[in-house]
Amino acid sequence: MKEQFEARMLRIYFGEADKWQGQPLQEAILGKCRELGLAGATVFRGIEGYGSSTRVRRERVWKLSRDAPMMITVVDTEAQIEKLLPHLDGIVGEGLIAVSKVEVIRYTRSETKAKSS
Amino acid sequence: MLTTGKALKVSITVSEGATYHGAAAYSSILDFLFYRGVSGATVLKGVAGFGADHHLHTASVVEVSDKLPIRIEFVESQEKVEQLLGKLQELAGSGLIEVQETNVVKPPRHSKEKAPAPEHLRIEGKARMMRIYVGESDRWQDKPLHEALVQAMRANDIAGVTVYRGIGGYGAHRRVHKEKPLHLSRDASIMLSAVDTEEKLKGFLPVVDRMVEEGLVVLSEVDIIKYSWRAPEVDVE
Repeated sequence: MKEQFEARMLRIYFGEADKWQGQPLQEAILGKCRELGLAGATVFRGIEGYGSSTRVRRERVWKLSRDAPMMITVVDTEAQIEKLLPHLDGIVGEGLIAVSKVEVIRYTRSETKAKSS
Repeated sequence: MLTTGKALKVSITVSEGATYHGAAAYSSILDFLFYRGVSGATVLKGVAGFGADHHLHTASVVEVSDKLPIRIEFVESQEKVEQLLGKLQELAGSGLIEVQETNVVKPPRHSKEKAPAPEHLRIEGKARMMRIYVGESDRWQDKPLHEALVQAMRANDIAGVTVYRGIGGYGAHRRVHKEKPLHLSRDASIMLSAVDTEEKLKGFLPVVDRMVEEGLVVLSEVDIIKYSWRAPEVDVE
């Protein structure tokens, strides 16, 4: 099944070592997205970068405790994204959140699958 | 130098064993063309044939034949061909020479020359970014879907694509994708990101329709600030 609609794409940038209430930040954000019923989220790990604190974050082979730049992308309707934003204020201590207007085509395997939004 | 438009194609057929002043006739012809500045020539070897003497020659294992047909072909301007024909008739001996009119669609280019920018590499200003989200284990015709998509984009002249592997997340089925060490068969999410003009990406969408059974396509407007490219080295000689 194919649906086409206008949506918002949210990108959250933070560090891999960042935590929220003792929990890795990406898990906290993913948990919140699922709790609010957002359609989906994907976590990417960058291999190098720097942020507001100008620390160069870099992946090193010999270093296990890495602090790579992380990005989570969430795509959903404007209403759903608006619902998530206030919660992110509390969770993301240091980081960047960017929202852009996008056009979406969604392919789903079964017709019976309910729209998640 | 050969240019686009009308030209002549010359084919010379000789026997493999034919000689000219002690050397193989075809190699004498090739040398002659080379040193007379012909822009290119090809020697083809036939696997069987017969000539004016009506003897059938075939490439058989038991019988090593030196009478197999050899064909030398080249394309040049009419003016140039006329200069060469006299000597060629002498070199070809008992062989056949034919000349036919042809049309050069694309003249050959020296491999060191810089190619002009192909159409699909000229994108400026307003463009679109297309992101496609699929699962790493999704397949299309026995190959990973994301690899098939990259090949399809290449075939459709999409200016470029980058594949990203997500390390966690969830999608339509609420499956949690998570990276685990020592876990080889993972089903991470894959994101392909491509930037090109709106028409090109819209034109590619029917292909995505056919290939992606489950996934998400996200289109957004972007401004292209810089898109530089390096001319590829062509090894045609």
